[in-house]
Amino acid sequence: MLRNRCIAMLLAGGQGSRLGCLTRNIAKPAVSFGGKYRIIDFSLSNCVNSNLDTVGVLTQYKPFVLNSYLGIGSAWDLDYSRGGVHILPPFVGEQGGRWYKGTANAIYQNIDFINYYNPEYVLIISGDHIYKMNYTDMIHSHQEKKADVTISVLPVAPEEASRFGIVTTDEDSKITKFTEKPSQPDSNLASMGIYLFNWSLLKKALLDDETDSKSDNDFGKNVIPRLLEQKKNLYAYWFEGYWKDVGTIESYYDANMELLNDKPEFDIFDTTTRVFSNSDILPPQYLGTKAKVRNCVISNGCTILGEVVNSIVAPGVYIGEGSKVENSLLLPNSKISNESWVRKSIIGEHAVIGSYSSIGIKTGSNPRQAGITVIEDNIIIEEDSLVEEGKNVYRNLGNLRSLRREEGIG
Amino acid sequence: MSKAIGIIACNYRTDSLLGIAMDRPIAAVPFGGRYRLMDFALSNMVNSGLRTVGIITPHLYRPILDHLGAGKDWYLDRKTGGMFILPGTRHGIYPRYRKFALKDFVKNIEFLERDNADTIIISGCNNIFNLDYTSVLRNHEEKEADLTLIYKELDLEVEEDSYGVVLKVDENNQVVGLEGVQSQVSKNVKYFADLIIMKTKLLRDILKGHEDNDDMDLMDVLEENIQSLKILACPISGYFGRIFSIQSYFQRSMDMLNPSVRDELFMGTYRIHTKIKDNPPTKYGAWSSIKDSLVSSGCTIHGNVTRSILFRGVQVEAEARVSNCIIMQNCVIGKGAVLENVILDKHGQINTKSVIKGKNNLPVVLNKCSVV
Repeated sequence: MLRNRCIAMLLAGGQGSRLGCLTRNIAKPAVSFGGKYRIIDFSLSNCVNSNLDTVGVLTQYKPFVLNSYLGIGSAWDLDYSRGGVHILPPFVGEQGGRWYKGTANAIYQNIDFINYYNPEYVLIISGDHIYKMNYTDMIHSHQEKKADVTISVLPVAPEEASRFGIVTTDEDSKITKFTEKPSQPDSNLASMGIYLFNWSLLKKALLDDETDSKSDNDFGKNVIPRLLEQKKNLYAYWFEGYWKDVGTIESYYDANMELLNDKPEFDIFDTTTRVFSNSDILPPQYLGTKAKVRNCVISNGCTILGEVVNSIVAPGVYIGEGSKVENSLLLPNSKISNESWVRKSIIGEHAVIGSYSSIGIKTGSNPRQAGITVIEDNIIIEEDSLVEEGKNVYRNLGNLRSLRREEGIG
Repeated sequence: MSKAIGIIACNYRTDSLLGIAMDRPIAAVPFGGRYRLMDFALSNMVNSGLRTVGIITPHLYRPILDHLGAGKDWYLDRKTGGMFILPGTRHGIYPRYRKFALKDFVKNIEFLERDNADTIIISGCNNIFNLDYTSVLRNHEEKEADLTLIYKELDLEVEEDSYGVVLKVDENNQVVGLEGVQSQVSKNVKYFADLIIMKTKLLRDILKGHEDNDDMDLMDVLEENIQSLKILACPISGYFGRIFSIQSYFQRSMDMLNPSVRDELFMGTYRIHTKIKDNPPTKYGAWSSIKDSLVSSGCTIHGNVTRSILFRGVQVEAEARVSNCIIMQNCVIGKGAVLENVILDKHGQINTKSVIKGKNNLPVVLNKCSVV
């Protein structure tokens, strides 16, 4: 029904710098989440489940893993001859080229792409958010209200409001005010960064915005406020359900850990709306004769010989005999060798923890209060290492205190 | 890559797999948590660079088509070549254990005529192995053999697999005889792995020569012409699992709990491909206990599981005890139920506190959609 009447533009170029070493090698949308997924899977699956079959993915920051993960979109059933996934990196033309400056500029630079499909509506979404949403309802609301722009919103805690674009509406959900990251928020209704535009209006707004040399070329900061000034019809669409922007290590860790709850608010296990992903070809997981697994989410291709408690384990992870992993996230293909202890840590992709090592919080300290220890992708921690609580281990920064087993770990 | 094409023969049955092969072809029997038996034969061909594979289907082929789709998960949705479904014939009183009925090939001869590949690999569909055919193909071409038969050297127990074929090989590695399996213990026999590499032209000639006489099996033709053909024998060195009875199915399944077997079959350069289902990861409850088991994605486990294989989407509720079992896709094991030595086919439901115990090495088989 909505084929090519609406296309989605998925912003996936951001670094997500507050995720620290998790995004040193890959863009934030490519970061692993919930065991087998990568963050972009959620937005892409939402598109598929909403019958949006044309998705432009705007990439910029370290796109290699993201590009190879997306491929031609076949893992999301988005390999079509007309439509499907298009990866849209910055490019050069006769006038030279430039990087995507802001979110609006990224779309502006791809006006030709959107013109090719010439849709009625353009849905702008972000590849960094964790949520399940059927965009069809939002499109219906947009049509009913005869809106020019519809912005998806949800209430947030007042103390968090200054992190978001804050929306004030009248009783008909018509937006009267939009302030990006206000210091004194006068509402707790936050924009989710999901905008539905009439394409003719968006095109004009983008061209306008480019002529303004003072503009940051950002939807929230510039384009939306200007449209409000011009008295356009901007409406809010109230989203009910789970939505999270995992901006920091802490919120990333917490959002993952929430999946372990009995009835998690964000239910990846609910198979009525499936989340698709491009998974490696791996056998089922194996749990050894001495394995102990309690309250965990574990993915394909894992070999668990030790003990794992309250943890999320991504595909292809190995946990050796006698090792104990607690309250941790093990990202794809990481390896914990024998007799090691990993507590409240995030172990990066392909990282290896040598035997007899201790990673994370000290014995006796309260795991709820302790800081999160992060080991970057591809790091190899040698045998007998001690990495203390809250440390982030980057490449070539391994000034680790060597520790013998007798000194009291494991 | 060499210009070889493949055919997987799936039009045969076995009487001894009981319920698990009653409503489905042997090729589609679920195995190892997320696979079906034919995945091994098919993945081996794809991994060896074959881009044209024909699949001779039995009469009951819905489960095979359901599994394969357009061949996408094996990268066989190609513009040139790809996967071809070759409908098999109904065999009447033709012995059901025969695997390579000429009739099936004759009826699909267009598949062989359309492609100009020099060499064809013909494979059975019920053996578990991971083999790269590249070096066998090279050897076949260098030695200018008419055929290469691939075998596994193994010991045969009494009363097993009476339908198997054993190769007699001379000092030049040339096959000089095909024998049935003896009814006594035999050591180091060269057990034919249902794998034939042959010149496509030779196969076409055989089929043309038997147009009016197509009730034979390809193996019979080879036996008749064993003097005039140059047939080489070539061994498989790695793991080779044969499935011919419910016991062997059970034992070969449990072999997958062995780390070296698992590494060799599933974790090497060449992977075994299967239909992808996009299940979520598996969730283990706070009071679950799992030991020595293979668990697929999408399961929810709150009970106790030991030495078992759980397929995708299985639910084991609290206080349930599952040991030495094969639990297929989407089964639900109710609270407090006890299962020992059971093969539970897809969509089975075991009610609260039910107890089902089979004998060691003689598992109870519960058919698809059983409710106990």
